[in-house]
Order: sequence, then C-alpha cells, then structure tokens
Amino acid sequence: MTLLGAIRPDDWNLPLFLHVLGAMALVGSIVLVLLSLVSARKGDSAAGLRLAYRSLLFGTIPAWIVMRVGAQWIASKEGLDDLDEPPAWVDIGFVTSEPTLLLLIIATVCAGIAARRAREGGRSFGGLNTTALVLVTITLLAYVLAIWAMSTKPV
Amino acid sequence: MSDTLLFLHLFAAFLLAVTVVTYTAVALGAPASGRTLFVADRCWDVGGLGTLVLGIWLAINLDQYEIWDGWILGAIVLWMLATGLGVRARIGADDVSAEGAPLMHWLRTVAIVGLLVLMIWKPGA
Repeated sequence: MTLLGAIRPDDWNLPLFLHVLGAMALVGSIVLVLLSLVSARKGDSAAGLRLAYRSLLFGTIPAWIVMRVGAQWIASKEGLDDLDEPPAWVDIGFVTSEPTLLLLIIATVCAGIAARRAREGGRSFGGLNTTALVLVTITLLAYVLAIWAMSTKPV
Repeated sequence: MSDTLLFLHLFAAFLLAVTVVTYTAVALGAPASGRTLFVADRCWDVGGLGTLVLGIWLAINLDQYEIWDGWILGAIVLWMLATGLGVRARIGADDVSAEGAPLMHWLRTVAIVGLLVLMIWKPGA
C-alpha cells in the first residue's frame, strides 16, 4: 500500500492535500477545544468556555468540512466510492467521520450555552461543560483510529 | 514495519498541527491558559522530533526513497526552518504584543504547510 501511495497519479495530490490539511486542522482544533474545556473546569471558566466554543464553531466544523470534501474527492478519483465492498480502511474513515459531525455540533451547542451562562454568572453550566468534554474526547479517539486506518490501510 | 512507521510519522505531524492551531488562536487574540500553551509546546517538541526521526527512518526503510532525494532534503531544510521559527514563536507567546511574535508563528505555519505540500507531491520522486 505504501508503494501504491508512492506512485499515485499527480491529479490525486490536490484532493489528498486538502483531505490531510483539513484533518490536521480538525485534530489540532479538537485538542485545543479539549484543553480549553479542561482549563474551564479548573480555572477561568468563562474564558475557557468561550475559547472552546469559538474553536468548535470557527475551527473544528469548517476543518471537518474541508477534510470530508477532500475525502470524497480523493475517493471519487480512486474509484473507491463505486465499490460494492470498499476496503476496511475506507469504511473506518466513513464510520469515524460522519457520526462525529453530529457529536461536534452537539458539543458546539453545549459549549455555546455554557459560555453564555458562565459570562452571565449565577447559572450552572458544569453539566454542559462535561457533556462537551465527553463528546470531544470520543471524537478525538475516533480520529486517532482513523489516522491509524488511513496510514496502515488494513484490508 | 513501514506501515507502523508511517502511522507514527503521521501521528507526529498531527501533534505539530495541535501546536500550530493553538498558537493561531493565541495570535488571533484568544486567551489560552498557561496549561494549554504548555501542552502545545510539548506537542511541538514530540511532534518535531517524531516527524524528523521517523521520516528519516521511513526513507531508509523504503526501497523507493533515498535520504538524499531532493524533496526529502527540502523537507529537512523546511523542518529546520520551522523549528527555528517555533522557538521564536514560543518565546513571543509570553508577550503576544511583542514585535514580530505573531509573525514568527505565521511563518512557522507557512513552513508546516510547505512540509505537507512536499510530503504529498514529492517533487522529483
């Protein structure tokens, strides 16, 4: 598979670049969200929650779209989306990407409401913070699995 | 063996992305905590070392590449540039209003994207 990767046609490079760039921005922003949510639990909750919310809204979700568009484009170029039984690594990619968008949207809503409550003060937001933290952690673990599948390409 | 090396090499590159995204947030005015910057800096350390060592190991391990291939040498030069810019960006992170501090980060970001371009297109391979 590594040899196949080395001899791929040139017109596959741009979609692959977009896919990997989007994936890197996606994982980077998710870790930033995770760290911000953890620091919101331990210290400055309003600033941490605001950073988590904005990172999800302006970083993570746009990066997911770039990653997913790149994935579909490269899959189309390689003819993988026409196969009745696509390879396991392609399935792992779809299974880890599409449901996690829903988790990310829910996490964004939770972080947004929690950030507003923290700013206004007086209302509880710990449950929303924890929910967002759990969803983002699940998403991050799914993406580590996806990185493994994309690089090792198990049949 | 090569697949495992490639996974770890790619994983290390994703650690670099964590640092770049975190410092981008700081450069755009986000109030990142000391703990967040500490983790971002450790990701840069581990990711930087990992991409270099595992990348060279991969080049030695795979028959179709040589360590002196132009795109690999170019990647090593870009890696050194990004490392130097990363050190300057880290020093500037304590005072993001310091002259040139955000610039070092943005230049490092360009270097990292340039590395990704080299890894994908592999010019001359």
